[in-house]
Amino acid sequence: MSRLELKNITKKFDNKIILDNINLVVEEGEMVSLLGPSGCGKTTTLKIITGLIYPDNGDVLLNNKSVLAVPVEKRETVIVFQDYLLFPHMTVEENIGFGLKMAKVDKKVRDKKVKEMINLVRLNGHEKKYPRELSGGQKQRVALARAIAVEPKVLLLDEPFSNLDGRLRENMREFVCELQKQLKITTILVTHDREEALMTSDKVAVMLEGKIRQFGSPEEIYKKPATKDVADFFGEKNYIKGTIENNIFKSRIGNFKTTFNKFSKGKAMIRPEEIEIFSKDVDTGLLGKIKKKKFAGDRMYYNILINDVEIKCITKFNKNYNVGDMVSVKIDFNDAVFFKEE
Amino acid sequence: MKKMKKRSLFFTVIMYSIIFLLLFPLVILFVWSFTKNWPWPNIVPKAFGLRAIKYVFSPTSKSLKTLLFSVWLSSVVTIITLFISIPAAKALGLYKFKGKRLFKLLILAPIIVPPVAVSMGIHVTFIRLGLANTFLGVVLMHIIPCIPYGVRILTNVFEIIGESMEMQARVLGANPYKTFFYITLPMISPGLVSAGSLIFIVSFSQYFTTFLIGGGKIVTFFMLMFPYIQSGDRMMASVYSLIFILTSLVLFVVIEKTVKAYYKAENYFYI
Amino acid sequence: MKRNLKPYVLLLPVMLVILGIFVSGLVMALIQSLGYFPVVGLKDITLKYYKEVLTDKSFLSSLSFSLYISFTSSIIAIIVGILLAYSILRSNKKERMEQIVYKLPIIVPHAVAALLMYNVLSQSGILPRILYNMGIISSQSEFPSLIFDNRGIGIILAYVWKEIPFIAMVVYTILSNINDKLSEVALNLGANKRQVFFHILLPLIMPSVFSAFIIIFAFSFGAFEVPYLLGPTAPKALPVKAYIEYNNPDLTHRPYSMVINMSLTFISIILVWLYHKSFKLISKYDG
Repeated sequence: MSRLELKNITKKFDNKIILDNINLVVEEGEMVSLLGPSGCGKTTTLKIITGLIYPDNGDVLLNNKSVLAVPVEKRETVIVFQDYLLFPHMTVEENIGFGLKMAKVDKKVRDKKVKEMINLVRLNGHEKKYPRELSGGQKQRVALARAIAVEPKVLLLDEPFSNLDGRLRENMREFVCELQKQLKITTILVTHDREEALMTSDKVAVMLEGKIRQFGSPEEIYKKPATKDVADFFGEKNYIKGTIENNIFKSRIGNFKTTFNKFSKGKAMIRPEEIEIFSKDVDTGLLGKIKKKKFAGDRMYYNILINDVEIKCITKFNKNYNVGDMVSVKIDFNDAVFFKEE
Repeated sequence: MKKMKKRSLFFTVIMYSIIFLLLFPLVILFVWSFTKNWPWPNIVPKAFGLRAIKYVFSPTSKSLKTLLFSVWLSSVVTIITLFISIPAAKALGLYKFKGKRLFKLLILAPIIVPPVAVSMGIHVTFIRLGLANTFLGVVLMHIIPCIPYGVRILTNVFEIIGESMEMQARVLGANPYKTFFYITLPMISPGLVSAGSLIFIVSFSQYFTTFLIGGGKIVTFFMLMFPYIQSGDRMMASVYSLIFILTSLVLFVVIEKTVKAYYKAENYFYI
Repeated sequence: MKRNLKPYVLLLPVMLVILGIFVSGLVMALIQSLGYFPVVGLKDITLKYYKEVLTDKSFLSSLSFSLYISFTSSIIAIIVGILLAYSILRSNKKERMEQIVYKLPIIVPHAVAALLMYNVLSQSGILPRILYNMGIISSQSEFPSLIFDNRGIGIILAYVWKEIPFIAMVVYTILSNINDKLSEVALNLGANKRQVFFHILLPLIMPSVFSAFIIIFAFSFGAFEVPYLLGPTAPKALPVKAYIEYNNPDLTHRPYSMVINMSLTFISIILVWLYHKSFKLISKYDG
């Protein structure tokens, strides 16, 4: 178990900057998500941590010591790749024991450890099977066990759940989280799935175009995005233009109280699920007309017109209104995030 | 619906006709191998016999010994060619680098540029270096036409399996040598076997290069067979050809049965 | 830096053999064709051999004979090969046929293909026997000589026999890849099978067919065995002519042979270039 630190990591391929001055600290036993769209440099970051790629600039520190000079095989940082990469010519057992065999661990010790791992990932009875005989979830667990077996200083998970679907995906996610807490392995999870990052991690680093834009707790990232890019990356939102004077936000849809007072002209960002709607006899001081409506099972998506400004809103499925209905709208601008107008 | 059936019948007939035309000469070859006497204008031989086969297998003809020697020579060619093709295929299959196209073209060129020109051109040099009329000289000459097949099949294999398995092994603590022996080699082994069998056959079928560089001192099975074809001795030529074809076929079938594939490689083509 | 050199290091062993034997063989042939052959005292670089050979009538007739054989055999092989591939695709016995057609050319070398043609087509071959027994010809000599003839029928058919399976497999592989997906789309859009073949399948296989054409053309153009075994006394195919000149006991004659080799090489280098171009055509449809 170790503390991992990336200092000013920069990497170019063919003169294109892939990673731009990356700084990141993962404390011992922590689980950090590296969240970003595909092609933003997440996998490259993992490969630099393991030593598969050498950075152009910057340093990788494990327990405050630079490991750049340590070759891949001695660095004790293991990636679990997206497509599991189980060795097709080896059984489950042999796959799990591979790292130990490479480290020349005594056969008896090795067998014991492999057994332990098989118990841990609940693959009893599958020891002698080959990868092609396993289901997606089982492959995933073999890959995980294989990585954990060598007791890595840092465990790196590269989009580990993206090849699984639905229920299985949720189960595996929970399983991995529990395992990580239980073994207290310093872990980085690379993902493009916002929910996954928020649900699983102690901290989230949002990575866009080769830069880490924000690093903080899941709540911070979601509720207080540092930049518009980060806010945009987190799905649906409303931007409402206006001015702020004496803790009053003035806009075309009305004037609202706010605690914010850092600048006077800007945009307020409100998430659709933070907006509430009621039937028009409930007085919220704000009336709107339903313009569009979409049913999405457990939720409803509404577009509401308030003084010609279109606002998106997500409610529970039981709030059922029709297009053209007038509704009362409640928006709390104390929850809003303000971005300065340029 | 009826029309559709008719159409597919039409293509089935065409397919069988073409395949018949391709197989018919082989049937004739087979019949000739077991013929004792087949005068004009008989459509079937007047008498069957094993004279030609008996001759080939008799100790005086040295055919069996030559066959074994040929298998040995082609095996040596196969092993050397595979040995040098693996790294080249890895470079072409996995990495991007300057001049890659030129390398690919140079490696492919021996299929297109006539071996006749190359052998005659290099002959004097081989004589000077003492390589002419030697086993080594013939092996070296055989490697040239084998390289394109070896490198191409293995390049395709490397393209399919990629570099990720090796990376996975490295992060799990395997050094480059162990990675090669525990991961890369087993992973490419089906490709190695198909490349190897093709290389073997290319070498096994060499005539002109063996003839010129071997200078009659290095005699392969093909060299024994050639004069019979040349002189139109159908019976002998057919027997030799049959043995030749069967040797290749056995090699192919045995190999196909023993190889377990972890991936589906592209079909490879051989002319 | 180290990483950048890796592919070149990996290519080194193969390149040593290619450059050391293949390329230097061609360079040696070039030097000798220019009249530099010090072993027998020829030391002046000259174009005289080129002038002599390239204006020589028998050379020109050999050249056109070789080109004619390669071109004719390749075209026939392409047409029949495509037909065979499409027929296999449309028939319901794909698997077995595919296997036969696939293995055939690999296990039967060219010299044996020549023997096969000799067995069938020569005046005592099986074909005239059949025709005789059917009463179509009344004697051996009535059957036209198709072997050792100056129209090269025997040579052409030997190549065609050997190359049809090759073409068929190249085409079949691509066809079966595109057929399932694209023809269903086209059929769905209202095209009939004929239209699908001519408007969808044929254009898509054309680039690969072109590069396969170049390979069989080049091979038959430069190969020695078949024309040596089945060819007429005159004109001789170029590789055979090159060898005969090479075999001349008068070593000062060597440059003539090398000029022929260089013409073979020159034409094949043009073919390599065309082949290279054809790959650009193929990748045009990728992605």
